[in-house]
Amino acid sequence: MQKSLIVIVVVAIVVVAGVVAAWQLTQVPSAEARKIKIGLVAGYQLAEGQDMDRAAKLAVKEINDAGGVYVSEWHTSVEIELVTINTENDSPDKSLGPVTQAVEEEQVDLLIGGYTSSGTLANQKVAIDNKVPYIITGASSSLVTRRGPQANYGNLPEGSELRVDDAEGMSYMFHYCTTTADYSATVVKFFAEEMKPLLDSTYEFDDARNLRLAILYRDDAFGKGVVADSKAIIEAENLPIDVVIERNYPTTATNFQTDLTAVKAANPDAVYVVDFIANTAEIIKEGQADVGLNTVYIAVECCEDPAFYTLLGEYGSEQLLESKFAPYAGPPYYLESIATYVTNYQAAYNTLPGMMGADTYDAFYIAADAIERAGTVDKAAVRDAIESCAMDQKLIITETGKIEFSTGTDYHEIAPVTFIEQLVWNTDVNECRSVIVYPATASGVGTLKQENFVLPTAYEPGSP
Amino acid sequence: MNQTLINSLGSIKRKIVNFSRSQKFYLILAAMAIVVILPPFLSNYVVSEVLTPMLIFAIYASSWNLLASSGQGSLGHAAFLGIGGFVSALIAIKLGIPPIIALFLGSLLSSAIGFLIGLTCVRLKAWFLAMVTFGFSVIIVTIFSELDDFTGAIMGFPTPLIVDRGLPFYYMSFAFAAISILAMYLVMKSKIGLAFKAIHQNELEAKMVGINTGKYRLIAFVISTFFAGLAGGLFAQSIRYIHVSVFDPYYSFLPLMMCVIGGLGTIEGPIIGSAIIVTIDSYLPRIDDALHGLVGSIFPAVSNVGPPLRTLGLGLFLLVIVIFAPKGVTPLIKKTYNYLRNSLKEEKSK
Amino acid sequence: MITPELIQALLWGVAYGCIYILLATGLNIIFGVMKLVNFAHGQLLMIGAYIAFTVATVFGLNAYLAILVAMGAVALIGIGVERFTFRKVLGTDKLNEIFVSLGLIYVFENAAVLLWGHTARQIPSPLQGLQLSIGEGLEINDRLLAIVIVIVILVSLFLLLKKTKIGLAMRATSQKSTASMLMGVNIEKVYVFTFALGAALAGASGALYGIIFNFSPTIGALPTIKAFAIIIIGGLGSIPGAIIGGLLYGIAENTAVYFLGGVWRDAIAFALLIIVLVIRPTGIFGEKGE
Repeated sequence: MQKSLIVIVVVAIVVVAGVVAAWQLTQVPSAEARKIKIGLVAGYQLAEGQDMDRAAKLAVKEINDAGGVYVSEWHTSVEIELVTINTENDSPDKSLGPVTQAVEEEQVDLLIGGYTSSGTLANQKVAIDNKVPYIITGASSSLVTRRGPQANYGNLPEGSELRVDDAEGMSYMFHYCTTTADYSATVVKFFAEEMKPLLDSTYEFDDARNLRLAILYRDDAFGKGVVADSKAIIEAENLPIDVVIERNYPTTATNFQTDLTAVKAANPDAVYVVDFIANTAEIIKEGQADVGLNTVYIAVECCEDPAFYTLLGEYGSEQLLESKFAPYAGPPYYLESIATYVTNYQAAYNTLPGMMGADTYDAFYIAADAIERAGTVDKAAVRDAIESCAMDQKLIITETGKIEFSTGTDYHEIAPVTFIEQLVWNTDVNECRSVIVYPATASGVGTLKQENFVLPTAYEPGSP
Repeated sequence: MNQTLINSLGSIKRKIVNFSRSQKFYLILAAMAIVVILPPFLSNYVVSEVLTPMLIFAIYASSWNLLASSGQGSLGHAAFLGIGGFVSALIAIKLGIPPIIALFLGSLLSSAIGFLIGLTCVRLKAWFLAMVTFGFSVIIVTIFSELDDFTGAIMGFPTPLIVDRGLPFYYMSFAFAAISILAMYLVMKSKIGLAFKAIHQNELEAKMVGINTGKYRLIAFVISTFFAGLAGGLFAQSIRYIHVSVFDPYYSFLPLMMCVIGGLGTIEGPIIGSAIIVTIDSYLPRIDDALHGLVGSIFPAVSNVGPPLRTLGLGLFLLVIVIFAPKGVTPLIKKTYNYLRNSLKEEKSK
Repeated sequence: MITPELIQALLWGVAYGCIYILLATGLNIIFGVMKLVNFAHGQLLMIGAYIAFTVATVFGLNAYLAILVAMGAVALIGIGVERFTFRKVLGTDKLNEIFVSLGLIYVFENAAVLLWGHTARQIPSPLQGLQLSIGEGLEINDRLLAIVIVIVILVSLFLLLKKTKIGLAMRATSQKSTASMLMGVNIEKVYVFTFALGAALAGASGALYGIIFNFSPTIGALPTIKAFAIIIIGGLGSIPGAIIGGLLYGIAENTAVYFLGGVWRDAIAFALLIIVLVIRPTGIFGEKGE
């Protein structure tokens, strides 16, 4: 036993010495002109995180190749240094440590990224406390910018632990992404404005008959958020939609026939599938191939990814996808910048880009623009510059055609345009491609719609 | 008064007196002094995100180690880490009880549930027990998610802290770790610990010499889950946010790896294992980009080969330890230390 | 209570039980002969799926022929695993098997990430786009074919165990390893063969899984657990038990999902498992304790 205790001492000394050495090695000397350090918060265990990483590397390379960012305080242009912050599966317990390390040790000038809502709500606290500008490009929950006093605590109940009282800290948070409210609104309005009239005329339904919507969702914050927001919008705007069944399943589920059987028994006109790529593809496939639920399936925008199209195969044909970035609906695209991005991305990585990376890509340009206008890397000045951003839209289209962060109750959010795509089987690539079917126009780009929405060939409406 | 109790108290007292005169007592004092004195000279990050988790996981791994010393290898210990974390945070928030008391209530509840689960486990063989404990952790995570309106588990929430993050929290964790590990050490050195060992080595023989194996296996469960719950309460505070991901199987496998790498069944094994794994988790990510630059072109399917390559290395390391050094790395460190000491002595004698 | 929808849900239970039966049988053979539980068995399924995927997409092999390739390749991996890891800890503390399995889980999952990435994949079925009809309302699809293939594999396995020399040696070893050693059975050879056979079954179930579902490097864990639950319900070491256990498990799980909702899927399955173990620690059909 005696020896083992000596060992404890030795190990303690070795470990402590190692830690001290490692800590000192990572200390950054703060010189005058230096590279700008931008941290990318991404979960590398997830396909989406890899897409974010690729998009970020592309953006940084483009910016640096074009001469970097001019910082007037230093009278010179400097490069951006990408600091990868690996949050593994982006859960709170895995993301707080790496983000703390990047902020406190690496002393990044700015953070970009974030994927899950809960992970971001947890790790943004580090940025709030240390007053580091954070352009959040994931996280569908609006709380990430609204939980402070500026947005009346996002209507969180009094005493909620999620409230943040630090108004100054919250002012460093920016949300460059759609929220569950944004896309739920587009989806339910599409059903009310586009699909219900088509159903009524095709099947001679009475106008008083409401569209029967089923929602199948994963049992997490994202799924619950979409369900709650969809129902709230239907009620608030008095839309002619009945939610006939809501069914959830655990995030670990891999087959869904039984859930789909229950959905089929409710006789819906359409099914809103709220999940990520692999499960959504599986549900749409099983619904048609196994359960015989021949209806309209609509997927959420995070499925805008090459893997989704590959997995769906022919089962994607004539189904719907809500999105805000459409690399599959062209060329030609509704924006020229998308064509350039798709070409460069394909050249670099030999695959089409996904949606998560598009937000991230834009955010690096927003950051570069803000630092250039601020003329310094001082964090408060950079925050003010982001707040006064008035860049032209890049990959994500907005209602005004400009990237502008609100200062109202939708605090520090952009006003993104989301749309509905219909997938079409393409015999050339043996995979589906998409066309935009709703809405007709967007103020920032003009005409958006490419084709009219059609009911799938095998479509069967719900009970009258 | 119970005679055996007096006897055992007397023997503990004797042991403590003998111990305080021994050389290793001073060595422990010296080690503790280092662990106490050094942190103020380190950065906030190192104290909060490296040293504090080491202490908390040392408690957690030791609790797993105690259960394993009775031959029961749990694959669902994350259930108790999560119960301790959630219950202590929820009690503190919803009932307004001071977090320090909530911490104990959380540990007690974890222990109570550990007792119930232990009841179903005491008759089971190694593999069945591993599976059943894993199953219970799945059931418990489902219950916590389904009661989301009350637990808030799905979105998660920030946890109330007993003391401020940084040095105060470090010292508090240190106190908890020192007391908990000492308590578990005493249990393992006591008659109860001997019974655990006997059961682990051969349950049938233990039964024949009159050991109530069911009772002792249950005792191991209760003690182990209490400390796992305590570690959970501290862990929830150290990461400042609790979410259903704390039930992830990763946290069930973690103490197992720490114990195996450090040295199973010993008191120092889990501590050393915790120090090694936490250091790897905190510092190796920094070489990810370098790793990717080095071998990234071989594996075009991943955008950064660092993380999977590191985890693969950890798996291989575990295999090598189990196969070639079943007592963990501690004997290797001892050997190195002895070698160094002997060569130093030779130097002196010259 | 009994609606057409419920009956359909039960049928799904049976259909999907099949893949797990194959996996469970492999696990069970290894246990029966070697008294060893490989918790990384599901990772062999995952590797099997990826191997079939690679042969089917890169070399354009028919997905159903790729099953044979996957079986062979995973059997080879199994030989390596047995030779270099499990053999070293066999007969020592039972906990060591769990530790080795955990190490293997980490190795296989991350090797798969490095080779194939995180993206979910699916093996392209040769039936895609074809409408093969065999009689009224009956259509040949991948699920039906999977059931047929599982039956074929199980029958050949049965013949192998009953009619061949190595099968006899395996059965002898599973009953008493020391006695069979005395009778001149080369235990080491039997162990290697058994492990390879179990791994090949995992490879086959992986290829079938990959044709029917999409998969990623982390899918292995859940099938292992389900296979384990199946052999516990069916009784350790008993192949007919594994088949009945698989069907029972599939039906129970899907009934629970139908009535209680999908979120309870795994919890109910485990509750069932725990109840079975509390009542009968050796499983429903398990005769012998260990």
